[in-house]
Amino acid sequence: MSLSKKSTVIVENLRKKQMRESISAGKRLDGRSLDEIRPIEIELDVIKKANGSAWVKLGNTEVVAGVKVETGEPFEGLENSGAMIITAEVLPIASPHVEPGPPDEETIELARVVDRGVRESEMLDLSKLVLVPGKIVYTIFVDCSVINVDGNLLDATSYAVVSALASCKMPVFEIKDDKVIETGKTQEPPITTLPISVTTVRIGDYLISDPTTEEEACMDARLTITTNSKGSIVAMQKGLKGYFSIEDVKSIADKALIKGEEIRGKIKGLINIG
Amino acid sequence: MQEVKRKYVIPGDIVAEGNLRPLVNVFKNGNSIVATRIGITESNNDGAKVIPLSGIYFPRANDIVVGKILDHSSLSWSVDINSCFAAHLPAQDIFGRDFSPAHDDMGRQLSTGDVIVARIAIFDRTRDPILTIQDKDLGKIPTGELIKISPTRVPRLIGKRGSMIQTIEQASSTRITIGQNGIIVVSGKDKDGITLAINAIHIVEVEAHTSNLTQRIRQLLNVPESEIESDDTQTSEASDTTINQDEINSNSNDKEMGMINSNGTK
Amino acid sequence: MVQSRSLIDESGKRTDGRVIDELREVKIKVGIVKNADGSALIEFGKNKIIAAVYGPREVHPKHMALSDRCVVRCRYHMSPFSTDTRKSPAPSRRETEISKVIRESLEPALILEDYPRAAIDVFIEVLQADGGSRCAGISAASVALADAGINMRDMVSACAAGKVDDRIVIDINDTEDKEGGADMPVAYMPNLKKITLLQLDGELNPNEFNTSLDEAVRGCLKVYEIQRSSLMEKYFGDEKEMKE
Repeated sequence: MSLSKKSTVIVENLRKKQMRESISAGKRLDGRSLDEIRPIEIELDVIKKANGSAWVKLGNTEVVAGVKVETGEPFEGLENSGAMIITAEVLPIASPHVEPGPPDEETIELARVVDRGVRESEMLDLSKLVLVPGKIVYTIFVDCSVINVDGNLLDATSYAVVSALASCKMPVFEIKDDKVIETGKTQEPPITTLPISVTTVRIGDYLISDPTTEEEACMDARLTITTNSKGSIVAMQKGLKGYFSIEDVKSIADKALIKGEEIRGKIKGLINIG
Repeated sequence: MQEVKRKYVIPGDIVAEGNLRPLVNVFKNGNSIVATRIGITESNNDGAKVIPLSGIYFPRANDIVVGKILDHSSLSWSVDINSCFAAHLPAQDIFGRDFSPAHDDMGRQLSTGDVIVARIAIFDRTRDPILTIQDKDLGKIPTGELIKISPTRVPRLIGKRGSMIQTIEQASSTRITIGQNGIIVVSGKDKDGITLAINAIHIVEVEAHTSNLTQRIRQLLNVPESEIESDDTQTSEASDTTINQDEINSNSNDKEMGMINSNGTK
Repeated sequence: MVQSRSLIDESGKRTDGRVIDELREVKIKVGIVKNADGSALIEFGKNKIIAAVYGPREVHPKHMALSDRCVVRCRYHMSPFSTDTRKSPAPSRRETEISKVIRESLEPALILEDYPRAAIDVFIEVLQADGGSRCAGISAASVALADAGINMRDMVSACAAGKVDDRIVIDINDTEDKEGGADMPVAYMPNLKKITLLQLDGELNPNEFNTSLDEAVRGCLKVYEIQRSSLMEKYFGDEKEMKE
C-alpha cells in the first residue's frame, strides 16, 4: 500500500525565493543552466572481488554498483535467457533522512526504474548467457549502494549500473559431467547498447534537469527518460504528485535524447570503451 | 603576560599535566588533562581546554540562533536550529499571555520555511530548547542569502568584540546575521558585495585555525592595516562564549571518571 | 578448528606474502561522506569499509530516548558485492551480532552523558570484505566519531590476531580466518589502555592466548598511528604544531 508522506526536507523560504528568482533568470543556485548536468566522475573496478564495479559521482550524489556473475536457474518463461537482477539500497550513511530497514517504496521504485532501462534496452544480450537451456544460465547480479544523496538518485544509479556492466570481466562457466565448473577464464560481457537515463523535474513553470536535493524538495513533478544508442526511448517513469503538460513531456523527451547522447559519449570516454 | 601553550590534539591526547582546572572538551585522568575532541589546546593558569574544530551545534541558553520553521502545533512552532534537538517557539512569545488558537492565527505570523533569528530562552538537560524573538533585532528574516558553516568556526568569524564580522560587513556593504548554530544570512543591495562577504566567510571557515587569517581577509577585502585588530588566535571569543558550556557540555570533568580513574578518586 | 592444509610456507610467508608479525596495509581517508557529521573510508588489506556518523541527533521514535544520556545505534552491513559469493541484501544474523559487539566496543569511549535525550548513529558499510572487517569497521568508526566532534575519552583501535599453522600471527586475512586454527579480534583504547572488544573463534591454550592478545594489542597500536595521522592530515594539513 502506498501512502502520501510529509516532506522530510523543508527548504527555507529565503532559499526558495532565491531559487525562483535565479531560475527565472535562467540559472540555478549552483550556477548551472536549467538543462545542465553536474560533472560526472566514474572510477571503475573499485571492488576487486566483484566481476565489475563502478563508483559514480554525479555532483555530490555518489553510488557504487557491483556486478557478481554466478549461475542458476532461468526465470520462468525465459528458458533461453540469462537471468539479470538489479537491486539498490540507499545506505543509512548517505543522508540524515534515511532510516535503516527494508527498502521503502521509493528505493524499490529506484531499483525497478533503473532495471527497466537496462532490461528493455537489451543492454546485455541475455540470449548469449545460457549454459543449459531451461536449466542452467548465467545469473548476473548488479547491486547498488548509494553512498551520498544530493538529488537525482535515478540517473546516478543508472550510470553506475551501466558503467559496472559495460566494464565487467565475466567469468566463463562450462558444463562438465553435468556440473557447472568455473574455467578460470574471463570474457567480455555481450553489450549491445548503453542505455542512458535523464531525469527532469518541474519547479513552478520551469523544467530543470539533474536536480539536487534542495531542488527536489521544491519540485512538483519528475520525469525520467531512458534512451539507447539508436536514439529510441526504452523506458519512462513519471514521479511525484504533480503533473506535466503534453508540451512539457514532448520537450523533456527531446532533451533526453540529446542530453542522453552527450552523456553516453562522456561515459564511453570515462570507461574507455568504443 | 600569561603563558599560553597550544597544541593540535585528537581525542585521548594529553592536553596538559599537573594540577590544572579542566575547562571544556577535556577531562581529568589522574594528573593529566585529556582532550575529548579534535582541536587546538589552550592551557594557562586558569585551566586547560580544547577549542574544537568539528561538531554539530549543541544548544546553550542565551545563544542567538538562526532557525527555520518546520511546523506548528496549537501552542508553539517547532523550529529547526541545525542541532540535535528541535526547538520550540511558544505562540505566547508573539501573541502575548492571552493567546488563544481560536482567534489568533499562528500561520499568519510564521509559516513553514520561514527563517527567524531568535534567542534560546531556556535550555537544560531535561527538555528541548525554548526560543524567544522578543528582544531587539530578533524575528523573521524576510530576505538574504543563507549559508551554513561549522558552528565551531563562529567565534572566529565574529572576532574579538565583533571586529572580524564588522569589518566584513563594512567592506562589502552588507548586513550579516550570524547564529551560534552556524547558520548565517547575508543581506544587502549589492550582489557583488554579497558575493564578497560570502567568500570572506568561507575563507574564515576553512582557515579558522591558521595563524595569519586576519591578514588574508584584509587582503581579500582591501582593508588597510589599522582597521582589523590583529587577532591571530581563535581563542578570545571562544573563551567568552564557552564558559556556559561547562554546565552542559563536558560534564566529563566530574561525573563518570570514577569508571576509569585507576587511583580510585571520583 | 583443525587446519587441513598449511597456510605458511617454508620461507615463513603467509597466503598473502606477509610474515607472521606483519600487518596488512592500512589507509584511512577522513570526511568521505559529505552528508554525514563524521565519516571515514578505511582500506585494510582488501577490506574496503565506510563508517559514517550522524549525531548527536534527534531520537526517532521519541520514546526510545534516555533522559540522562545518549542512545547509540550501530549498524554493520555488508553490500551484496562485498564477498566472494554474492550476499543477499537482507541483514543476516552474523551482521546483527557484529553490529552489537561493535556498538559495545565504541560505547566505552563515548561520553554519553554529554548528550541526554539524543542519539548517535554509527553506520558501518562493508564494500569489500577480506577477513578482519569488524576490526577495520571499528577503527573507521572511531575516526568518524572524532570527525563528528563527539566527546570521546579516547580513540578505539582494533586488530585481530590468531593461530595459523600452530603459530601466533597478527592480522588474520580471509583465508586464514576460514581455514586457520584461531581468530581473535580485539578493540583497544590506546591511551586508557583498556580492551573494549574481545572475541575468539578457535582453540588457544593459555600461552597462545597471552601471546595472541599481546600481538593483537600491538596491532591496535599500529592502527592507532594511522587513525591519528589521517585525522591530523584532514584538520591540520601539513602543520605539525600551531605557529604563534
